[in-house]
Amino acid sequence: MALRPVVVTGLGIICAAGRDPAEFWQRLTTGQGGLTPVEDEAFAVFTARHAGQVPDEWIADQLPGSDADLDRTARLALVAARQAVGMAGLTAAEAGAERFGIILGKCQATPDAAGRYQPMHRTQDVVAERLGLRGPRILVSTACAAGGNAVGLAKDKILTGEADAVLAGGVDPLLFGTYAGFAGLQALSTGPCRPYSHSDGLNLGEGAAFLLLEPLDLALARGAVPLAEVAGYGLSADAYHATAPDPTGRGGASAVRRALADAGLTPGDVQYVSGHGTGTPANDAMEAKVMRLVFGERAGQVPTSSIKSFVGHTLGAAGAVEAVASVLALRHATAPPTIGFDEDGQGRAGDLDFVPNMARPMPIGTVVSNNYAFGGNNVSLVLTTPGEPRPYEELPRRDAVITGLGPVTGAGTGVAELTEAVLAGRHGAGRGPSLEGRTFAPRSLWRHMNHLSRLAIAASRLAWEDSGLKLPRKDLDDVALIFATGAGSAESTGGFDESIAVNPNKPAVLSFSNVVLNATGGAVCQTLGLRGPTTTICNGGASASIALDCALELIRSGKAEVVLVVAADETTGTAALDTEDLPVPSPYDSGSAGAVRGSAAVAFVVESAEHCAARDGRPYAKVLGTGHANGDAAPHTDAAPHTDAAPHADADADAVARSIARAFAVASGPTTAATPAAASGAVAGLVVGAADGTAGDGTEAAAVLAGASGARLTASTALAGDCQAASGALNIALAALAVRDGVAPALTGLAAPRAGDLAAYVTKPGLDGPVDRAMALTAAPGSVRGAVLLGAQ
Amino acid sequence: MASVLASAHPQQTVYGQVGDATVPLRFSSLDEEYKVLRERAAVLDLGGHGLIEITGPDAVAFAQRVLARDVEYLTSDRCMMTLLLDADGQVVDQVLAFGREDGLLLESSCGAGGRLLAHLQANNDEGVEITDRSGDLTVLGLEGPYAWGVVGRLIDAELASLPFESVVDTTWNGADVVFARTGFTGEYGYQMIVPVEHAADLWRQSLEHAQAAGQEALELAMLEVRQPIPRHEVTEGATVVEIGANWLVDVTKDEFVGREAVLAAFEAGGGRRTIGFSGGEGVPAPGTRVWVNGQDIGEVVHAVHSVGLGATLGLARVDHDLAAAGLELTVGGTEVTTLTSPYIVPKSWSIPII
Repeated sequence: MALRPVVVTGLGIICAAGRDPAEFWQRLTTGQGGLTPVEDEAFAVFTARHAGQVPDEWIADQLPGSDADLDRTARLALVAARQAVGMAGLTAAEAGAERFGIILGKCQATPDAAGRYQPMHRTQDVVAERLGLRGPRILVSTACAAGGNAVGLAKDKILTGEADAVLAGGVDPLLFGTYAGFAGLQALSTGPCRPYSHSDGLNLGEGAAFLLLEPLDLALARGAVPLAEVAGYGLSADAYHATAPDPTGRGGASAVRRALADAGLTPGDVQYVSGHGTGTPANDAMEAKVMRLVFGERAGQVPTSSIKSFVGHTLGAAGAVEAVASVLALRHATAPPTIGFDEDGQGRAGDLDFVPNMARPMPIGTVVSNNYAFGGNNVSLVLTTPGEPRPYEELPRRDAVITGLGPVTGAGTGVAELTEAVLAGRHGAGRGPSLEGRTFAPRSLWRHMNHLSRLAIAASRLAWEDSGLKLPRKDLDDVALIFATGAGSAESTGGFDESIAVNPNKPAVLSFSNVVLNATGGAVCQTLGLRGPTTTICNGGASASIALDCALELIRSGKAEVVLVVAADETTGTAALDTEDLPVPSPYDSGSAGAVRGSAAVAFVVESAEHCAARDGRPYAKVLGTGHANGDAAPHTDAAPHTDAAPHADADADAVARSIARAFAVASGPTTAATPAAASGAVAGLVVGAADGTAGDGTEAAAVLAGASGARLTASTALAGDCQAASGALNIALAALAVRDGVAPALTGLAAPRAGDLAAYVTKPGLDGPVDRAMALTAAPGSVRGAVLLGAQ
Repeated sequence: MASVLASAHPQQTVYGQVGDATVPLRFSSLDEEYKVLRERAAVLDLGGHGLIEITGPDAVAFAQRVLARDVEYLTSDRCMMTLLLDADGQVVDQVLAFGREDGLLLESSCGAGGRLLAHLQANNDEGVEITDRSGDLTVLGLEGPYAWGVVGRLIDAELASLPFESVVDTTWNGADVVFARTGFTGEYGYQMIVPVEHAADLWRQSLEHAQAAGQEALELAMLEVRQPIPRHEVTEGATVVEIGANWLVDVTKDEFVGREAVLAAFEAGGGRRTIGFSGGEGVPAPGTRVWVNGQDIGEVVHAVHSVGLGATLGLARVDHDLAAAGLELTVGGTEVTTLTSPYIVPKSWSIPII
């Protein structure tokens, strides 16, 4: 089956080896690296001094004055994003703002202009707002593989028909803490890194890169020049270790094989491999194994090089930076070299061709670009010379069902406890979940896990057991895992930052390995032995529904039959389970005292209906439709800059309405026209909203009551507190419970709703029986609103 | 019980009785086989290791109760070494436990298959199925600094760099093979559990890339890295702590047979500890008294001539406060020095798999 060809029509890049694609390519082909001693005096405390830095003037010269007050991460991203849009010659207005998406890869939580951590998705929101992009928005954070991962997810959004253009890329700045962490891991080279020959460590770098993806037919129709086809991509999990790659190379090889299968190609079709090539001994040795495993006896005839020898390791940007280089390699029929390569030295893998030091003109029709990350996340992209326009088939619609739930919340751990708490009208907001009474992982692993990973592992184990799935080892190799988190581990991030503040040369390295947002997802894969496609979504409270979308895409494209979605977030301030008199938020109530933050992990198993039926599984509910919409107001563009991160009430109400309408529209048929008219079947018995007990609840309630006629509204935050991504997943789990078991939490404290009548809300525990359809809402206010419609079989 | 590979062994093979198994002690000479194992790659006939399968709905619960480490989540791609204890905390056997799709497979120590089987059957409160597979499966080992190269040539290069205690179900010449990265000697080590009818073929093919080593060379190399050899080290009345096998027991587990006795030994402290020594003249017999300053502080557990050290190497079980490295002790009238393990640094530690 041939799917719609997706091509790259625009490139943007800013990194140590160039301020734009032309300069970047000129330097790559003439061997001019950009690794220099770090200028910032603060870094003088470290022995290793080299990094790939972007000169400030390269940024300033390419940005309008109105962007001057933005933080460095946003400024780097905007430079590259504008370049890509400019090269493609496609503006949001031309493509249609709602049809133009952005998928950004980012490894680090980055500071705002004042130096405070900002939400992971903030950089993306700024770029989207400035460029007027109102289509699909995903922040992917698979650490050092995120940039490549973003390109793959962007292709999916075009194949599902949700977007006609997607800006996909990655960004990360050079941060002192991260530098200290890598120094503490002894992973930094003292000079410019020398991947594949000396392999004595890496250099960090900074930068941003974007690729503009469009369907080939639309690109040609508007007279654009396709630069490369995104023929396929592959994701895999090592399920091996938090930071070290699986030494066999099987994780990396599996990503390449999946990418080639996705592209309908074989290893024999590949002419050049853009390697991850960090320059650490573990990475470089593992990559040599990947080359041999994938290409066998041909391994020595497939040139592979690392441009990290020019720009350093730009973390979340790396995959995108290397994808840009790969597109340019295809366009110019030249393989960029690995510079600093010691040709006389004792190379670790003498039989392989690392394109030493000199660019090599050669015919290139197919490139594989590989990235490997902390957490054992691997990504491979296959880029090819653009083909002719050709007939294609739509991505098939395949029914997916939710077959297992794993709630780990202050109100209860496991479905039975949660159900009991719901029926008893108990509140768990502000309480930490309990993991007592049983084990969830081998003790040898468990004792090394941080709190968030333990919550997520427990949730995953419970969901898996609840689903009744019993799969042999070889089938677990194809089970996918999507992790959703707003901010990752507060414990590890806090512990690491404290250690750096005390002594940058004595970082808490164990915490550092858990600072990457995908660490918890990697820990789940490792514990449950899942080696299928994996990714990590960081769109705040909307992460879980976006993760569900990714799961559905994997099932639709036949890349997985079973996907475990797990969402987890924590606050350091939860109380013990037996604490009395905790404040309870009262969602939708005009008298509510405000939100109560909580810690929780909630997992659910998504399975193709076919797979579930074949094993006589008992699903909770079928996923009828999902919808997302952006909450920033349309005028926040280059023409009318607006830097306030707070949600605009009208825009937020609009986003709720649009996300609900989209979910109904998807449920009602194959058309993707998300108009309110398509919502004629817009009935859901129950809506589990994202209200948290703050003033924004009224906006949501009004939009829900208008958009989902006849529904009764409830929320989960009295039950478990505001747990960011986990609250979104809990809402989905509660909607599933309502459909199968007729259970729904009650708003027992609701007296004066901010919108509508009291009768429109669930105020007593339990329902009259199972509902035919239930909707769950998720929210990252000011950014993305999500809606998930579930129904009985 | 004779080795199923006996007909494939060379004529001059010297056999010995180890527990209930007749095993090849050496195929040529100890010195030669030891050098092969420490410097190149050795093929081992581990047919003396019994193989017992535990299946049934309660297989994991049963195994979790009779094994001293945590096997609740031992998946089919992992194995681990652990002990089985009796209610008094005495070591019954030291096993490699393999996670399997439908339960576990236990590999006994050399010559202890019968004892292991009897112990499992006697403790089968859960009514699990216990099947002795020693008649239809056997174990071949590869051990040495270049054993990974043999794996690549023999089966699949991908398997060579498997992480320690990882297991892969694979095939070799059409036969199902349970392949594991293990290691007894500090060198790169692998095991292959194969149907007996394919064992001779695999043995012969392995010998095209490596040389055979017998039980003597294997046990010497094990001793040199302080890998426990139960048949020598488990003595009447010795606790797990005295034997030095604490690492094969997980007391954080809520319950297992022998747990209370192990906890009591931990809490009691005192008693004896096992320490390596070298030097002296001749090889002292087990039970030889150990003296310091005219005081009897313990006895020799096991001693041999170490080819690697060119000297006597042994284990002594002595008063706990004297179980430290660098002490001069008197054994059988000659002076010996206590050591920290490993007593020989394996060559594999400085050789990467490529």
